[in-house]
Amino acid sequence: MKTVSFSSWNGKIVDNRKGKVSKAAKSLDIKFPAQFGDGVSAVMGWNGLVVMDPGADVVSLTINYLKEARKLSCGECSVCRIGIDKLLDIFGKMAEGDGNKQALSEVEEIVGGVSENSKCNYGQSVLFPVLDAIKGYKTDFESLIKGEKKLEMKEYSSAVTAPCMEACPASVDVPGYIELIKNFRFEEALDLIREKCILPGVIGRVCTHPCEDACVRKDIDEALSIRTLKRAAADYDLQEGSSSLGFPAEEKEEKVAIIGGGPAGLAAAYHLRSMGYQVTIFEALPRAGGMAAVGIPDYRLPEDVLGHEIDVIKRMGVEIKLNTKVEKLSLGDLRKQGYKAVFAAIGSHLGTNIGAEGEDQGYEGFVDGVEFLRDMNLGKKIQPKKKVAVVGGGNTAIDCARSCFRLGFEDVQIIYRRSRAEMPANVEEIEEAEHEGIKINFLMTPVKILAKNGKVTGLECIKMKLGEPDESGRRRPVPVKGSEFTMDLDMVIPAIGQKTELFAVAGKDKFELTDWGTFKVDPVSYMTNVEGVFAGGDCVTGPAILIDALDAGNKVAQSIDCYLRGESVSEEISFEGIDLKQQRGQGYIAKVAAEKAGLLDVDKRVGSFEEVEEGYSVPEAMCEADRCLRCYRLMVWA
Amino acid sequence: MVNMVIDGRKIKVKEDSTILENLKDLNIAVPTLCYHEELSSFGACRLCTVEIKANGKWKLAASCETVVENGMEVKTDSKKVQESRKFAAQLLYYKYPTTTVVRDVALKLGVDVSDAKAGDNDCILCGLCVRACEEVVEVCALTFRDRGLGRDIDEPEIEFDPNRCIGCGSCAYVCPTGYVKMEEAEGKRVIWDKVFKMVACDVCGRYFAPKDQLEYISQTTGVPMSKLSTCVTCK
Repeated sequence: MKTVSFSSWNGKIVDNRKGKVSKAAKSLDIKFPAQFGDGVSAVMGWNGLVVMDPGADVVSLTINYLKEARKLSCGECSVCRIGIDKLLDIFGKMAEGDGNKQALSEVEEIVGGVSENSKCNYGQSVLFPVLDAIKGYKTDFESLIKGEKKLEMKEYSSAVTAPCMEACPASVDVPGYIELIKNFRFEEALDLIREKCILPGVIGRVCTHPCEDACVRKDIDEALSIRTLKRAAADYDLQEGSSSLGFPAEEKEEKVAIIGGGPAGLAAAYHLRSMGYQVTIFEALPRAGGMAAVGIPDYRLPEDVLGHEIDVIKRMGVEIKLNTKVEKLSLGDLRKQGYKAVFAAIGSHLGTNIGAEGEDQGYEGFVDGVEFLRDMNLGKKIQPKKKVAVVGGGNTAIDCARSCFRLGFEDVQIIYRRSRAEMPANVEEIEEAEHEGIKINFLMTPVKILAKNGKVTGLECIKMKLGEPDESGRRRPVPVKGSEFTMDLDMVIPAIGQKTELFAVAGKDKFELTDWGTFKVDPVSYMTNVEGVFAGGDCVTGPAILIDALDAGNKVAQSIDCYLRGESVSEEISFEGIDLKQQRGQGYIAKVAAEKAGLLDVDKRVGSFEEVEEGYSVPEAMCEADRCLRCYRLMVWA
Repeated sequence: MVNMVIDGRKIKVKEDSTILENLKDLNIAVPTLCYHEELSSFGACRLCTVEIKANGKWKLAASCETVVENGMEVKTDSKKVQESRKFAAQLLYYKYPTTTVVRDVALKLGVDVSDAKAGDNDCILCGLCVRACEEVVEVCALTFRDRGLGRDIDEPEIEFDPNRCIGCGSCAYVCPTGYVKMEEAEGKRVIWDKVFKMVACDVCGRYFAPKDQLEYISQTTGVPMSKLSTCVTCK
């Protein structure tokens, strides 16, 4: 943002207009993303008014802002709903030359009343910029009242987000679906979720829920259980079978090939199919679902939940070819079969080395975590051993350890090189692992795999201490000299990371790769250097969470559609750099206890992969949904 | 028990109770349009507003929704409270100028209410019918259709699902404005434009309940229909 004529952002007045209050600050201490800044004449957002062009029509902006604001006011509490209506009536009268002198003080009174007495965060925050406008641009409003000013007929753009939506990689409309659940509209809630997240039952069970960390309620009492609410909408569909998805309204001739039936591939398939494209997924494994199918044990994600969600996609007419590994990714070959675009979504299914001596010896009892989970999920019988150590601190490590506990291993331990605070696994997963009696050894790392006659007998480990923070911001673990010790074990499962299987490079097309051995793609279009071939998900980003991959699938589908229609992809609106938690009106928000989903008794978990988390009943979900503060953030600009 | 101060009076109140429940016990008059003691609170009308001291600052809060906390201070009759209630009533009157209960409450709270146009009673979206249907009847035939992102509806409304409704009439009973109408004649009951067949009592012959409702009771309780055909008076 080059120059600012006036700003009231977050209540701080910056006024560079001639003859205005000299005390006001001169510069804006926030940088807006390009679409609200460069080339924009003025923007009105929930947190203030920012005018770049001194000739901008603030009156017209205010009225257009209110029209957008009205659409977001749910209408349940009277002051917000009727207050905004009344404001629009007052401004409407002004525009018709029918306003009176008291009108502006009436506006002030309504804004104050709505902000102070609305039920949710939306009503408590949304009207402040209107007050800023009538104070900062009083003469403009007065000339409208006098009939001296004509309103500008301009196209205004608008964008809406919320702290939870912004934190979600797929920007799911969280307040929207929560409100539908609250109003016993589970089917509509699910439809809304599916626009951005086609595996709601899966994500509702295993997501690491960054949205909950961003929840404004977190600072008041407890964050909403957004993940469990999403699950409630999906479970309702599973029970009632009321899914509204079917064949697309219109068929298109173009065929699209998707390599990999994981979250990214499935999401892209769903969207492309809804647009009418003929979609085929080539899946190397005997089951579709990618990491959701073979990377997560049943006690966290039952097979039928994923199965149902894949069935829904199949019912739309997506073809899934199982046990079909595409060895050489060649667009030429696929073109011959009539595919006009290809989406490589092959994930990251190879484990990474832990850097311990002997790990490449192929010892019996040394099994990589992703391989262990894949074998187990594909039905391979795993003979329980006595003592097993899982190396790593992420969700894969915890999944392996808790699976071993269920399989009947006598002693299950986790070895992690940093401390509890740095553990990347979900807190609830760590806690449940400990409830199940799994011991987590912090600050140690294996240096050598001990073996006899080709079989694992133990590990030589070294103790670690935490040093300076590294690039990830976590404190780097440093070995403590001379602290080596050994552990007797009959199985070791390394689970510290994954990488992509680079079969693609063997094809005729030369793919550009990153230093991490993943596909290099255009950040907006997701196209690789080979025209018509797109890539997304873990095979681009490296191992990430499921919802990241789903989002890549969503975006690739849009991009492939644009590509096939010969159009360019428009860039998404970004709120980056704007503090979405900031809000000027802080009314009283009563504390409300969160609904807790039940958990399976620990003594029922041995020898069983029964789902641990119970989810919400319909009334529980509706009660929890009622806690949402609807922190929608609106921006209107021209 | 929890200690709190209401209008300068130190009192002990039940934990988990709301401010409004305690104000009622203390016979402090509080205007409400969306409250019913048998139903959960909703906070739609914003008439029961009080001032409470939170983090050292006085703030407005709907007393129906606010659960008491130890050491909480409450003012129910300050200038701010009076203004705020009047403001909410003014808006309600602005939107529903002909609705009798709205006119009455607005007049009481000092709003200038014109004499003309009374009597055409609107739905004020208080949600009492929705909550009664959901919480007491447990049928959920009435639901809110709210506005929100991407939902292109002009006015929020209460939606009626004829497939769920059992015709019990609870919604008409709790409706504060008289918008929800229930009419009965010749063995038929009409509510939300749906016609229900009434069942006549085996003993006295009086029509006493809709067939759908009795079937619903039979289904949920396991009591056979044959045992439900006597009215309460004749039982």
